[in-house]
Formats: sequence, C-alpha cells, structure tokens
Amino acid sequence: MSITTTGNLGPMILQSLAPAMLYVPTPTMNYITITDKISMPVNGGTTCRFMRPRALQPPTIQLGNSGIDPPAQVPQRDIIDAQMAFFGTGVIINEQVILQDQEGVLAWVSERLAVSMRQAEDLILRDYIVSAASEINAGGGSNGDNPTNLGLSDFSLVSTTLDTNNAYKFMSGIEGSLAFGSGPIRSSYFMLSSTELQTDFDSLVGSGVINVWNYPNNTSALPSEWGSVFNLRILTSSEAPVARAASANGQDVYYNTVCGKQAVTHINQDGYSMNLIYRDPYYSGMLAQNATLAVKFAQAQAITQDTAIRNLLCTRLSNLGV
Amino acid sequence: MAEYSRIAKGSFTSTGAAQTVLLPFVPNVVEMWNYSAANSAPAANAVVSAYWDSAMGQGFALETGVYQTYATTPTVLALVADTVVANGISTFSAGQLLSFGQQIQIASISKASPAVVTTASNHGYANGDVVIMTGLYQSPTTGMPQISNIPFTVTVTGATTFTIHWNTNQSNYTALSGSPTGAFVKKVLYPYLYLPADLTIQTIVTGTTTTIATTTAHNLVVGQEVAFRIPSVWGTTQLNSLPNNSTPGAPLYGYVTSVTDYLTFVVNINSTGFTAFNTNQTVASVPGLDYPQVVPVGDVNTGGFPYSGGNLYPSPVITPYTGISYSSINGPAIQGAFFNNTRQGFVIGAGAGTNLASSVLVGANGNQIYWRAMLTDLSSP
Repeated sequence: MSITTTGNLGPMILQSLAPAMLYVPTPTMNYITITDKISMPVNGGTTCRFMRPRALQPPTIQLGNSGIDPPAQVPQRDIIDAQMAFFGTGVIINEQVILQDQEGVLAWVSERLAVSMRQAEDLILRDYIVSAASEINAGGGSNGDNPTNLGLSDFSLVSTTLDTNNAYKFMSGIEGSLAFGSGPIRSSYFMLSSTELQTDFDSLVGSGVINVWNYPNNTSALPSEWGSVFNLRILTSSEAPVARAASANGQDVYYNTVCGKQAVTHINQDGYSMNLIYRDPYYSGMLAQNATLAVKFAQAQAITQDTAIRNLLCTRLSNLGV
Repeated sequence: MAEYSRIAKGSFTSTGAAQTVLLPFVPNVVEMWNYSAANSAPAANAVVSAYWDSAMGQGFALETGVYQTYATTPTVLALVADTVVANGISTFSAGQLLSFGQQIQIASISKASPAVVTTASNHGYANGDVVIMTGLYQSPTTGMPQISNIPFTVTVTGATTFTIHWNTNQSNYTALSGSPTGAFVKKVLYPYLYLPADLTIQTIVTGTTTTIATTTAHNLVVGQEVAFRIPSVWGTTQLNSLPNNSTPGAPLYGYVTSVTDYLTFVVNINSTGFTAFNTNQTVASVPGLDYPQVVPVGDVNTGGFPYSGGNLYPSPVITPYTGISYSSINGPAIQGAFFNNTRQGFVIGAGAGTNLASSVLVGANGNQIYWRAMLTDLSSP
C-alpha cells in the first residue's frame, strides 16, 4: 500500500500571504498634540507673524482731587515671526512591482508615506522645542548627577513656575471617587516625556504620582498618557528627545517638555498641510515604466508664549535593562 | 541620462579648512578639482583632483596629487594617485538634534580664561564646532563639573587642543589633569538646526545697556527680542523676565541693539546696579545646577535679510564663528524670525593623503575648487 504524502505530491503553491499585514511599530506623536494650530493663508508671504499685546500697568494710584488727568500709557506689543518651510519624500515603484506583487503595494506604501509625514511634523516640533525653549535641570532626585533623576520637588517646581507665569492649563481636574486606589487629578499642564522614564515614574507611585489607571475615571485620558503628578499630566513616547551620555556623570539626559496652552503654535500653509501625490507610470520615461508616490507638506512653528514652556532635563534613577 | 538621478556642480574658494556644500540631496559620488593647484607650477603635495564614492566609506577619498620623489635638487615631481582615509569626503543629513560625534578622552583642562582643553588623541575639530563635555571630575569633590553639558563653541589651537569661552580661572574650579576616568568631550553634530535658539550665557556686563556673551554662536540680529532665565546663584536675576512687580504677570523683555560678534550682543536693558554675574559655582552645587540662559522670544523687524551680493532675496544667515557664515536652504524670511536650518549635502575635508602625508584635500587657503556631486539611479553593487 502506498501513501501519498507531501513528499511526492507537495502543494504546487507553497506560500500563502496572511490576510492581515503586521503592524509597524510607531511611536506616539505627542508634540503635535500640545500645539495651537493655525493656518497661514495662501499668497501671504514666507513668514507668519504673531502679535501679543503687553499688559498695561494697573492704575493703583488714586487720582486725588487736583482735577488733572494722569499721564497716558503707551500700549506695547510683542511680535513673533516664524518662517514657513516645505518638506516632502516619495518612492518610485516600477510597474512590474505593481503588476506582480500580491499585497497591494500602492496601498501600504501610501499609508507609510502618510505616517512618515506625520512623524516628520512631530519630530520637527520636538527638535524645535528642544532648541528654543529654556531649560531647568532636575535637582530633586537622589542620583547626584546633573541633572538628577526626577524627584517630586521637580514636578512641583516646574508646575509652580508655569503657574507663577500665569500659563493656561490644558486639562480641568477630575474629582475624586470612592474607587479603591484612585485619587483626584488636578487641573494640568502637559509634560511630554520619554517612555524610558516610566520606571522612574513607577518608583514614585504612591508619593503623589498617579498612574492613568488610578484616575477616578480616565475618559479624558489621552492614548499616550502615563499618569499625573501635581499639576502635570504626563504623556510618554519612545521618540521623546534624549541626549545620550550627556550629563555631568555621563548618563543620558532626557528632555521633558512642560507646557501650557498656546506655548507652541504649529502653522501650516493653507491648502498645503498634506499632499499625497500619485503619478501613474504614464508620466515617467519613454516606456512609462515607473509610478511615483510622494507626500509633501509645509510647516512652521513658533514658541508663542515663552513663559508657558520649560524643558525639564533629567537623568534616570537607574539604567534600563535593555 | 538617467531619469531620477541628481547632479549638481559648483565652486568655492578654499579656506584651508573643511568645506561644507549644501545640496537638496545626499550624493553618492563627489568629484573635485583644484584649479589653482593645476594652474600653477607643480608643487609637492598639491592635490589636483579627488574622487569619492559612497562605497569607499565616510571620510575617505581617492586623490591625485603631486609627489616629490627626491628631497634635494634637482627636484623631481610626479603626479600620483593616493588615498585619504580620514577627513576626506563625507556626506551629512542634518535633520535631527541631539546627534553627537564620538567621545574623546579629555587629558586636561586648564584654569584659564579662556580655558584650554587638551584631548588624549587628535580631536579633529574645526573653529566653530560645538562640543559638550562630561565627567569633569579630578576627584569626587574637585574638578570642573560645573561646565558639564554646556554647549561650547571651540577655537582650535592644535591637533589635541582647543579653547572654550569660559573662565575656569576661579577659586571653585580645579584644573583637570592626567586624563581623568570618564572625562569626555564630544561634538554636537548639528547645533543650529532651529534658530534663533535658547543660549547659555558666559558673561554679562551690566551698565546703561547690557552686554551678553554666550557659550555658542547666538545668531541673533538687531531688533531681536530676548528674555532672561538666570537662576539666583548666577547673580543677575534682575534681568529675568518675571516676576514684574509694577505690572504683575507682564514679562520684561529686552531688544538686541547691536551685535558685537558671533558670541556677543548688546541689549537695551539698563542694568546699572544689578547684581554682578557670577560663574564661580561650587562643585558641591552641581547636582541640579541650572544654567543662565537667554531666550529669543520675538523681534520687531519688518524687512528680510539684507542683500549682500548674493541672492536678491537671501535666506537667513547662520554665523557659527568669526569669518564663517552660510545661508539656510529655505527662502527669505523676516530678520529674527524662527527658521528651519535642517540641511544636507557633503563635506570636503582637510585630510592628508596616505603617501602624500603633507597634502590637504580641500586645498590651501585661496585655492579655487570646482566640484560635482551626483546621486545615481543605478549603483552596482
């Protein structure tokens, strides 16, 4: 008796493409979240201009009975300019790829291009904030470095600084509930941090740091929100800026951006915030062999309330085990 | 003619130091010719031309130069092929901050103004490069950790020495010597991607106007509006933008009234009688020590960057060092505006040949250099 096996009658087609694509590891994009967003009109030049009136001096001195008016004040304003910049990237795909590949290459490449564009927006904002915002070195930690690891006093100091500067908070508070382990959440600024700092945050839970899962309710929590401490709600991302081996003791330095409303403004060019461009092979050379897919966008950014933003620099309590 | 390749050409006058060329692409082939070297009597070690392919690796090049076969008369010269294996031709893609070069051991730092840093091996830096230093302890309680992680523009004084704009000749600083363990310097590869930027202050001269010197090139313009963040241990806290006691909540700003040089500018704040600026911080204060900063917050300009014989509507200019400046690759902007200075291109270095050991790839000061750069469609392998 002979048994037919795959050894002598194997499948003619050895492979089958799994129906679902695997996910692409993608960092959360927090920097775009905290920006004000405006659009610069077409035909409006290269530079977006902001104007902020200055406060007038409150008239705290009484008029007296002389009948003479006090001297007039001269209103002043501050001007902030930001130059528009243009960005783009693309791919060239030979028609044979499109004709022969089974997985819909144009579809997933389009998606990848769109994500890369959004990541570029976020990275540009991130680096701009690292460059342009002033810095505070953490000093409340215990590791003896400069900056130190984050201590509770650092969170308190930076949120107090923004409060003293009359910055506007993003989030209203969450009242406490009787849920076990939960605690009320204060009205808050955002602090954009690295996922690599989560072990340090974990070590402070119970000392005023509350994880997002211990909020009385987390309906207002953002997807990247790790938790809250004092007047800060912490959003984490693996793309948060880190200066490797840059501290006084040669450890990694993390930039935690703490900001209020309108601290940073993201400016797009009206009608140009995103263009996904597909060109059929017809438009390539003599034999029309290659299609192109590309994205382009325009973006400018400005710190529009310098008093409402600080980069809180810190090191970590201990090194990651990776 | 390939359909998607990129080809660019250009020329520059060599300064004898590495030359950066900005392009809208990163090339995989670069060629250069030294017209001055070819157009004069053959001189030993003159580099006439060079070729670089990305397959060679960053910093390499194949060069053709003049070799002197005998040191004594009669002089016999020959045109020979040679290789450059360090500081040759390289490409760069300056798109993200916080990128650093390799760490180099610090051998010593002097107590002086400016402080002299000596490295244990050749640093390869050029004037205008920006560095940070870490691990600046001579002992657990002495050294110069007060200046850790402050970005400094360097002035190169030798293959293993450079100076930084800081006065370390003060009582709380101890000279570093003997290559302390963990004392490193590294180059900040792209320090000026977004301008104007937050700056660390090295000195403040008070008076009817206030003169500020920074540790790196400030790239500010007249009319720039600035705010100060000076922690109390540094002294001159009266410059801080807040608190404002007369109009609560209204930040106090100053305007740049003149630019002295790439590190120094004058602000229209009358600081007569303000507390003196103090950089003599103690080693014990280092954990959590904040640095004095000046932050650009706006401007009052209405015009673009001034015409200077180049483009009719020039882009913002970056000046990292005295005598060195270049334009950003975007279009014209209002002076003082926040602008993007991300860029890419290639660098022709000042490296020497393997055999022509005294040659300089980028040529001598004043040499006319022509270049061609390509990004090819087809590259095999």
